[in-house]
Amino acid sequence: MVSHPAGYAPDLEKYLKTLKGQQLDTSVESLISLLKRRQIKGSEPCAVATAHILLQVVARSKWHDVDGLIDNISRIGRRLVEAQPKELVIANIVRRVLGLIRDEAAEDRNEGASGTPSEAQMTPTDTVHPDPKWPTSTPTKQDSVIDQVPNSPKPVLQSRPTGLSSYSSVNVPKTLFHLLSVSGPNDAESVLHGSPFGNSGTSTPSWRGHSAQVHSLRSEVIDGIEEIKDEISQVDDQIAALAEVQIHPGDYVLIHQPSATVERFILRAALKRKFTVLIATEPPRKQSSEVQHTSFRKKLAAAGITVINIMNGGLMAYMSRVDKVIIGAHAVVANGGVVADAGAAAVARAAKEQGNAVIVLSGVYKLSPENPFNEESLIEWGDSSSFVGFEDGAMVSGVEIRTAITEIVPPELIDTYITNLGTHSSDHLSSLIADHYKQEDVDFHLWNEGER
Amino acid sequence: MATETGGPAPAGPATENTEKKEQSKGQAKGQAKDQQPAAGTSTGEKKLSGAELKKKAKEEKAARRAQAKAVLTAHAPAPQQSSGGDGKGGKGKPKQDGAKLALRPASTPAVPKENKPSIPACFSHLSIAKRIDMTHADKDVNPAVLVLGEHMSAFAISDSITRLEATLLAFKKVIESYNTPLNTTFSRHFTSHVLNPQIEYLTACRPMCFSMGNAIRWLKLQISKVDIDVPDFDAKKLLSEAIDSFIHERITLADFVIVQTAAEMIVDDDVILTYAHHHLVERTLLQAHKEGKHFRVILVDDPYERVGIDLAKKLSTAGIKIAYSSDLGALRTHLNEATQVILAAEAIFSNGAMYARAGSCDIATAATDLGVRVIALCETINFTERVSIDSLTYNEIDPERCTNDGFRLLFDTTRDKDLSVVVTELGNSSATSVPAILRKLEEL
Repeated sequence: MVSHPAGYAPDLEKYLKTLKGQQLDTSVESLISLLKRRQIKGSEPCAVATAHILLQVVARSKWHDVDGLIDNISRIGRRLVEAQPKELVIANIVRRVLGLIRDEAAEDRNEGASGTPSEAQMTPTDTVHPDPKWPTSTPTKQDSVIDQVPNSPKPVLQSRPTGLSSYSSVNVPKTLFHLLSVSGPNDAESVLHGSPFGNSGTSTPSWRGHSAQVHSLRSEVIDGIEEIKDEISQVDDQIAALAEVQIHPGDYVLIHQPSATVERFILRAALKRKFTVLIATEPPRKQSSEVQHTSFRKKLAAAGITVINIMNGGLMAYMSRVDKVIIGAHAVVANGGVVADAGAAAVARAAKEQGNAVIVLSGVYKLSPENPFNEESLIEWGDSSSFVGFEDGAMVSGVEIRTAITEIVPPELIDTYITNLGTHSSDHLSSLIADHYKQEDVDFHLWNEGER
Repeated sequence: MATETGGPAPAGPATENTEKKEQSKGQAKGQAKDQQPAAGTSTGEKKLSGAELKKKAKEEKAARRAQAKAVLTAHAPAPQQSSGGDGKGGKGKPKQDGAKLALRPASTPAVPKENKPSIPACFSHLSIAKRIDMTHADKDVNPAVLVLGEHMSAFAISDSITRLEATLLAFKKVIESYNTPLNTTFSRHFTSHVLNPQIEYLTACRPMCFSMGNAIRWLKLQISKVDIDVPDFDAKKLLSEAIDSFIHERITLADFVIVQTAAEMIVDDDVILTYAHHHLVERTLLQAHKEGKHFRVILVDDPYERVGIDLAKKLSTAGIKIAYSSDLGALRTHLNEATQVILAAEAIFSNGAMYARAGSCDIATAATDLGVRVIALCETINFTERVSIDSLTYNEIDPERCTNDGFRLLFDTTRDKDLSVVVTELGNSSATSVPAILRKLEEL
């Protein structure tokens, strides 16, 4: 097994290549550090990475029933979310996978008569749990590990005391493995090494029938995650298919710092329509003379589309000319607010002033059930050293410098959301959310927030 | 700036004012290839060029006369360019026809061939500053004006009031160096034969701002009022004094009053949000700080022209707590913190719309959305009778970024509904009462 040091994988592609050769815990740790260092950034790469790692968790971590799996997923998911809390898609993918598992489990249960639905098991654990210092899921995990041996279908409540005691007695030596790991011992060790104990359980004869069920669940969940991955990869195409409806001949379309999705959308429209594209470019962080979005511009020029790079911070000046504004979303929150590149809110506001349509392109996987209680919590502040150097003492010491990377576009400024499932108004987003996420998973990443 | 340039100005080039138009046309054709934007490079060169220019002109006059006609016809059907010029700057009617044509050919062969076709068609109606090599300027242009034109086209002198002041000072030099030829009178000869070429040149360098238009109209009126019996010396003295008092009243005092008034509007614990850099805002903040008020400043900069960094340094050196944001990102967050927004206007239209640095409108609308008061600072000389309801009626293109690869407008128009108060030297008013103020000013 080749195990690369985390710093060795600077982007998504390289990271995905290392996945196969690595132990699961190494992969998780390296993904977490990649996220923290923003070496994997942007909603799509984050989503893809999350899907991959969760697939590994399902395939390679040891678990023996639905609850164990849900525990593994949500614990690792939580750590990923904490590594990059502003990238809402990570949590979205985790929720999707959790929902998937619950669905599969529910199906299985309905077929076999193996008892209570998973929610019923989870809920009491969450609510009854006496000590907030412990991640609520940890005892559940322990329970399920222990419970494999007697193979009891309803383990949670009756076995809690054992779970806790076994935690302290058995797990202590294990923490040594993770003395140097980034995370607290509870998380890592129970996720990654807690399960090996369970192996002894698997050898008991009574387990065998269950094991077949686990096996089928595993493969079904893996199939489901593969589907999510496919969905992510097809999003751009599916959104682009709706371009012709939105863009009309002769339009002046303003796009704000176009992402791959937006570029695809515009290029698709360019096949059939003649229009003018205004690109609101990213403010230059460094002095450079190269034209931004060169390849995109070339492709459009080849299609006979006029492209103008607009180099203004505020775009109000152009709005009387522009017909519609297209913004690529990093994420969409439940109330319809859109997390987008900094400056997008000003663009959307300007468009609103002139009554121009503001269209947001976003894959459904970016649609988050969360609702931020304040806008600031989702703004990512970035590096300002490119225009204020450290040699500039007066600025460094006397001035607070703020550079936003992302910001929230308020929902009232947005007219239409285009996802891979079609075109929606903001009122319709809630039903999309209901279709894609299970209510009980919405806050999964907050379960143990209290202890921090 | 104008003062330093004034020194070397010899009366020579300006006084000889015959057949200037034809000549300039011819020259341009010959030499316009290597246009060099030598903005600051300055006075010495200019003196030479003035003299040289005259010689050359004389030598080649004959040849040019013939060419000139051809040139004129060739370039005459390119009127879109001039349309931009007067869109922004065209206050005085006389200069538009004769004058512009005279200069236009000078600039057309070189500049437009590089830039013109690449200005996106949808913005081609807007005006743009261009560098005119001093050697291609009309020979009657006074050296002081020549230098000023260079500075303006290089945006070394860029905001409306500074440009106005520099222009008036330069015109003072022109007046001082003028001697009325025989058989004419000052008031009839000066404007059409001396002043207009200066104005044309300045307009060609960079479209005039509204305040320059207003002031030039005023100046022409003063000149026309000069009695024909008054001797030159007295007339010149009279006008010089008039210009001085105009500068004093409409600019120096006006700025002083505006700064005082605006500083009074800042109270303890205010959080002032401002955009990029304008000297009025800077002075206001420093004044309020001097008065001992405790407030914070959030400075949002123009990401493509970081003029705010210097202001941030100045303010923080002065001891004002300041936060600097490099662009309009997270603007709403900043505005949520702010209690007042202070912006300075380049001009205010008679419908109350504010013409200011591009981006001001974004800030004003967002501030109004969030219920934050927006204060616009503007001298009344910047008021114009024109009306603009969008930003593409009057605007100016950044000459450095005027192609499809990179395009930038310098200004935008903020509607009156997004301005809470306009601070002028006549007091605070609402944006909608701008026409009333304009009428009052006419009565004065």
